[in-house]
Formats: sequence, C-alpha cells, structure tokens
Amino acid sequence: MPEWLLKKDNYLPLKDKNAFINKSILSIFHVLTRFRQQAKHRTNKLEINALIKFISTLILIIFVSLTQSSTFVLIANVFMLMLINFLSINEIKYVLKVSSVVAIFTFIIFLPAIFLGYGNNTLMITLKVLVSVASVNILACTTEWNDLIISLKVFRVPDMFIFVLDITIKYIIILGEFSLNMVYALKLRSVGKNNNKSTALSGIVGTMFIKSKEMSEEMYGAMESRGFTGTYKVYKKFEFKLADYICIMFNIIFILIYFYFDRL
Amino acid sequence: MIDIKNVSYSYNAEVTALKNINLHIDEGEAIALIGVNGSGKSTLMKLINGLIMAENGSYLFEGEEINNKNMQNEEFSKAFHKKVGFVFQNSDVQLFCSNVYDEIAFGPRQMGMNEEEVKKRVEDTLKLLKIDELRNRQPYHLSGGEKKKVSIASVVVLNPDVYIFDEPMNGLDPKTKRFLKEFMIAINNAEKTILCSTHDFEYVKGVFKRAIVFSGEHTIIRDGAYDKIMNDTAFLYTNNII
Repeated sequence: MPEWLLKKDNYLPLKDKNAFINKSILSIFHVLTRFRQQAKHRTNKLEINALIKFISTLILIIFVSLTQSSTFVLIANVFMLMLINFLSINEIKYVLKVSSVVAIFTFIIFLPAIFLGYGNNTLMITLKVLVSVASVNILACTTEWNDLIISLKVFRVPDMFIFVLDITIKYIIILGEFSLNMVYALKLRSVGKNNNKSTALSGIVGTMFIKSKEMSEEMYGAMESRGFTGTYKVYKKFEFKLADYICIMFNIIFILIYFYFDRL
Repeated sequence: MIDIKNVSYSYNAEVTALKNINLHIDEGEAIALIGVNGSGKSTLMKLINGLIMAENGSYLFEGEEINNKNMQNEEFSKAFHKKVGFVFQNSDVQLFCSNVYDEIAFGPRQMGMNEEEVKKRVEDTLKLLKIDELRNRQPYHLSGGEKKKVSIASVVVLNPDVYIFDEPMNGLDPKTKRFLKEFMIAINNAEKTILCSTHDFEYVKGVFKRAIVFSGEHTIIRDGAYDKIMNDTAFLYTNNII
C-alpha cells in the first residue's frame, strides 16, 4: 500500500469554472425526465385511441391553417381550452408554456405588420399558431410514443420506418442515461482545476459514439439471431370505443363549422 | 462521519426511492448495502455522493450539511467530491480519457500536483491494482475486469476517505472478484470507509463488518453485524435476498 494512501490529503480545491458540467447534467436530466414522463405517466383520460387523436390533431391543424374566418379560429381556441382541462396540472403548465412562447414569438415576428395596417391578420396568425402548437402538445402529453408512431401506419408509412423510429426513441433514453452517468463521473472526478475541459468532454462524446456503435451492432446481432431477415411488420390494431366515435363526431362537427363560417 | 436523518427521495416526485432513512456511519467502517433490485441502494449511494439531494431530512458529512446551497459552492463541492470516491456499476461511464495513464492521472492533475507527483501517484496506483501493463491501452478496448480495475484506480488515485462501490462484482470473472475482495480489505485496513452494494455474497466474505438491508418498500429493515445477518437464512429468504 503506497504511503500517500495511508494518510489523509490536506487538500484545498483550486478555483475553476465548472458550470458546464452542472449545465450538461441539468439539460440531459431534463430531456430524460420528459421522455420518462411520456413513457410512464402519460394519461389517456379521454380514452381515445392514438390513431383517432392523431387524425383529429391533423384535421384541426389543416382546417385552422386553411380558414380565413377569425370566428372559426376563436372556436378552435375555445375547443382547445376545453381539452386542456382534461390534463393534469403539470401537463397544463407544459402545454401552456410551450404554446405561449411560440405564439409570442410569432406575434413579435409579425409586429411590423400591425403598423402597416394588418393588425387583424397578425392576431389571427398568432391564434392559429397558438391552437396548432397546443393541439400537438396535447397529443404528445396524452399519447405514448409507441402508439403515436404506430398510428403513422394508417398513412402508409412503411413498417420498417416505424420500426426505426421506435428503436430511435428507445435508444435516446438508453444513451441519455449513459451520458448522464458519464457526466456524473466527470463531475465526481473534477475536484480541482481542469485545464483541458474540452478534452474531457470530447472523451465523453467519443465514448458515446463507440458505445452507440457497439449497441447497434449488438442489437443487429440479437435481431439476426431471432430470425430477422430485413422486413418488419407492425401488428398493432387500434380498438374503437364509444369515446373514439364521440371524437369522430366532434371532428365532423368541427369540419362543418369550418364550412359554415368559411365557405358559406 | 456520515449522518443521514429521516431522508426521503423520489424520482419525478412520483416514484419513491428512499423512505425515511436514518443512518450513521463511522470512519473506517466497511458496510454492505443489501436489498432487492429497485429497493433504493443505488439512490442512497448517489445521495451520499452528493449527486442527488434529499427531499426531506438531512445528510451531514463530517458535520457539514450536504444540500443544494452548500454544493453550489464550487470549493465546498470539490473538497467533498475529493473525500468521497464512487465506483460506478458500469465502468464504461467512468472512463473518458484516451489512455489508461491519462485516465488515472486525470484527478491528480486537477489537484494541482506537479507532473512528478502525478507520475508517482499513478505508478503506485497502477501497481496497487496490478494494471501496470495497461498504461498505454485505450480504456474502451479493455476487458470488463480490466475496465473495473481502471475505474477503481481512477478513484483510488484521488485518495478519498470514503469508497462507494455500486455492485462492483457484477460481470467479473472469479479471479477479478477475488482480487477486488482483497483490495477492499486492504483499503479498509488503511482506515478507509467502504460502502458497497452487492448481491454477490460468496465473494465478499470477510470484507464487511456491518450490513444494511433494504426492503422493497425503500426502507431500512435491518442494520447490524454482517455475519449475523448473513447467517439469518430465513430473514434473507423472506426478503428475497437469497
């Protein structure tokens, strides 16, 4: 046993700026938390299946984009506010935060148009953006990624593409957890002044690259050993319940309202 | 040395990981953390390392409270991390330098030692862990056992007062496990505190004097002499430990 290991170090840390480590930890942790929440705690209070939710969102976005009637846009916004009520407090906060930020950003971009006399259009575009972003976020909050991806099948998206998307999301979480632990390890060993911060970070990035390559090879090996021949079929079928039919009815009413205010 | 009082922790405020944990650890103790998967062992180790902070209760290290406020102080946080070394379960996450020598020298170089002192520490550590021949190898291309030894070396070189091992025996061959056991005994004899989670009881005989058992409900259900607990077969069986 070396002598220095038998006694305590009288060590005072050297000053250094290491905020990047904590920032990296926070940002990775934030992304992982969001993915985990989406994977585990997504609520489906409306009990509408992912396919119907996906199509409804598309209908809403398409018709809100097409309309020239501010009444219709207002109705869509009211409808969206009603839907938000079904979410949990955290989800409401998230949806409102994201939608408001995007809407405010849009409003700022169109601000010069107000001075040129296009105030109504500016407001309408802002509201259109608000309702579209809110609808996509509500969809994301209440639907599991897997179901959402599989619902792409109805639009003739190839099964192989769906499979790749599915695997991508899974590995974002796995590699995210791996990178979080790597940054933790860096933090624990950053006990003084690091003159080569970029070397440590590039080491992490390099290890991540090797790890992801290794994992992809292992996964391909595992798939081959289970008889994978290059084709993949998605077998999931969505069940239709009363809530789905009610949702379809709302969609029809929504389209009729569009034609009433915009085309008649 | 370590005082944990009424500590609770949950992930995303929903998944409970630790419930009302009370623990006192003296300097020089060798403690095994035992419990089923997901019982909170790893979370407790992260908490003792200052990677996560308790939601309720307090954690004191050498009389100083480890909380967000204190850990935001760079000097305090670095001095604390210098004293508590953590060996991750997955060695890959701990290795990010281009060769083994640099990996081990990473800590001492940060401590402001001159290159001669760094070299001495690294050489000593390489010999202690018997990985002298790996010094120029790339960490990522080592075997599992070699990676484990290098990751332990990267912690040993900092000369921490507390060593925390997260399931160190996982995936290692019997020879490396025996080596690791002897290593833990040696550092404990050098008055270092050891805290280790493990399921591999066969290979850790003689290392620990105390065992802390976690239940599936994330609480400590037993805290006592290691041998006595390990001889209580009925208790271990009931709690899904053997």
